[in-house]
Amino acid sequence: MVCAAIFVNASCDKTITPQEDPAPLTPAAADANAGNWQMIVMSGPTEFPVAAPAATTDPAYLAELSSIQSSQSAITSTQSTSIQYWSSGAVVRWNEILRELVARADLPPAPLPNGTYPAPDPANPFADPNYPFSNPPYAARAYSYISVAEYDALKAAWYYKYQYNRPSPAKVDSSIQALMPITDLPSYPSEDGVLSGVNTVLMELLFPTSVQEITEKAAEERQAAMLSGKASASDIAAGLALGQAVATLFVARAATDGMKNATGTTAQWQAIATAVAASGQIPWHTLEIPPRPPMLPFFSQVKAWMLTPTDIIQERPGPPPSTSSDQMKEELAEVKSAVDNVTREQAATVYKWNDGANSVTPPGHWNAIAAPYINAAQFSEVRTARAFALLNMAMLDAAVACWDAKYTYYNPRPSQLDPSIKTIIALPNFPSYTSGHSTFSAAASEVLSYLFPADESYFEAQRDEAAMSRLYGGIHYPSDIQVGKDHGKRIGDYTVRFAQQDGAD
Amino acid sequence: MSRRLIIAIAGTFLFCTSIYAQTIDDGLMIPKHTLFTGDIYTHDSWSQYWEGTLKRTNGNLGTVTTQTNTWSANYGVTNHLDIIALTPYVWTNASQGVLKGQGGLQDFTLAAKYNLIDAPFTNYGRLRIIGVVSGILPLTNYTPDFQPLSLGLGSKSLSGRGTVFFQAPRGWFINGSAAYTWRSNVKLDRPYYYTNGQLYLSDEVAMPNVFNYVVSGGYLKHGWMFPILFSQQRTLGGGDIRRQDMPFISNRMNYSKLSAMAMFPLPKLHGLMLQVMYGHILDGRNVGYSSTITTGLLYTFHLERHRSKI
Repeated sequence: MVCAAIFVNASCDKTITPQEDPAPLTPAAADANAGNWQMIVMSGPTEFPVAAPAATTDPAYLAELSSIQSSQSAITSTQSTSIQYWSSGAVVRWNEILRELVARADLPPAPLPNGTYPAPDPANPFADPNYPFSNPPYAARAYSYISVAEYDALKAAWYYKYQYNRPSPAKVDSSIQALMPITDLPSYPSEDGVLSGVNTVLMELLFPTSVQEITEKAAEERQAAMLSGKASASDIAAGLALGQAVATLFVARAATDGMKNATGTTAQWQAIATAVAASGQIPWHTLEIPPRPPMLPFFSQVKAWMLTPTDIIQERPGPPPSTSSDQMKEELAEVKSAVDNVTREQAATVYKWNDGANSVTPPGHWNAIAAPYINAAQFSEVRTARAFALLNMAMLDAAVACWDAKYTYYNPRPSQLDPSIKTIIALPNFPSYTSGHSTFSAAASEVLSYLFPADESYFEAQRDEAAMSRLYGGIHYPSDIQVGKDHGKRIGDYTVRFAQQDGAD
Repeated sequence: MSRRLIIAIAGTFLFCTSIYAQTIDDGLMIPKHTLFTGDIYTHDSWSQYWEGTLKRTNGNLGTVTTQTNTWSANYGVTNHLDIIALTPYVWTNASQGVLKGQGGLQDFTLAAKYNLIDAPFTNYGRLRIIGVVSGILPLTNYTPDFQPLSLGLGSKSLSGRGTVFFQAPRGWFINGSAAYTWRSNVKLDRPYYYTNGQLYLSDEVAMPNVFNYVVSGGYLKHGWMFPILFSQQRTLGGGDIRRQDMPFISNRMNYSKLSAMAMFPLPKLHGLMLQVMYGHILDGRNVGYSSTITTGLLYTFHLERHRSKI
């Protein structure tokens, strides 16, 4: 009967595995020359010198090996699980962890009883509202800082690895088991040390309320590297020191990259509205109740990775259709028709690409799309870091450029011009033109198509689906989507041009 | 008693109301070859809700109203076995903000209700013990990922229920009923979600099981019934709605609810019953602070000329 069928279904194991389960990493190529690939922020691979390691015959090093041996003989099941987890590649794992931190912090402040909204305070991150509110621009910046810092630090690590050529403990001493795939990649300084150092410093800066979890994850990574026979204590210590040192460069950049002024003041954003009204256009206003300040109106001033401030202005799209034009009327009608007649298949794309509050945000969604391709390609850790760095630089640049357009034109959302337009996802609290999803997705698709040219059509299909979902959801005009896609493609191409000459191809 | 009656309980199963328990959790049986069927309309609304344990309003929702029109049928296969089916059509609406209300067929309920014991109990009345197995199946592929305006939760479920009913000769009765509900996982349209302190890189959501009970007492005689009902639902797992977050299907949705009902035969219209009920949530967690009005018009068909007496 129906009941029996339901019962079978309902009574089976309901457990959901929260993480992806990528294959263990056995890199297709060692990328021995990665120390010479072009840096992004560091001046060169020797900016933070790494001292030569002790010889593999040194008593101190031999003591490290015997410590690994004895640890391996008493390994716990928790430790084995941890080794399994990190064997998929630490860059991919830290990317997963970062997506989780972004989703956790992606909640807007709740209104106060007096109808105002408190601002998250970096000096008091645990207060309500928590700091940060990891909205799409904030998240784009966070993904890019961590990815680029990992990438620069790993290039420096690769430089020293091949300068000193100290093998992994499991390669030096045959009595040490290789509990995860271990290659001939020199282990000093340890890439796991580097990544744990970079991530503790930068994640704690960007997501301070998760400090305890980050610290524990980093320690777990270092322990897994040691227990698995991949790196010795001195390999890890040298890597950790290098990672932490590189991260300080990025902390310094973050302090002066313009993010602090991205919120602006009420007077500043009212001035934008006044100027737009003076030009004969209806300016955007929030549709939230009580009225919420616009999201990061001066994010356009944040320092991009591949574009100068002049480039951002030069790439700025032309204006949207005038709010009084026939074209705008037609587009409004198109939005209304799209959302009122949405099919189940179209609605599925709307929810797939919602990426609203409590989400990894659109940049995180594209990281999730990239991760299985990167894993399948079995890139070395440094090449994996390059892939995420290129992707996330392009998306930060897309965020800056898109926010520049949004707050230049201050264009109203469809539901503002026609209150009968109701949406099937929450309406983002910032101007309409151009579509952030379209811009992010086009930039990401350009970079991923460069990295994985055989799958270009898939990435472009995802881009188009993401872009069109915003029309079906009732939150964007067709112009926002088309112009946003064109804009995002041009922005992404800056990163692709950099990648084509960075020495890695 | 020539006519058996029905207790209807509109269970607030989330933010959206479902007529979950119409006739399922009372202590009454339909005679053999009798069909008791009709239409039940429910109007459920709230302007405050619990975000976790914090009671609040939300200017972007205003008042959320869920209307449900349910076709209900209860058939006596034997004097000891009833089959019950419910088909609800749901409309949702938010009075403020830009979010679009939804409308459509929600979840089909099918239940088998078996009278295990029906006997005089001491000198004071009659005791009845009933077991019910019921299943719920979404009728349409609605999205459950648009709470609180989705039509439902999108989960298949199976419930096991036990009911104890005691009636004194003069018509006073008490009833207690408790159910455990197993709920199937739900697939979302998106490849990841964050809930209960964790990011899940999956489109599949584990739905915690649910325990609920209802106790009622009142008067029942000559086709007239006036019970007062107290019900509680406890979701056995799931996360809270975080500060300023949207509700999510696997949230820990708990509530206590008090309801009063009147059901009586319409004069001069043989076989037609009118049912009116009002309920209000007393306390809750991740649910609306809702009030629910239910009206139903139900007709009894005798499909066999000489029905047996029970």
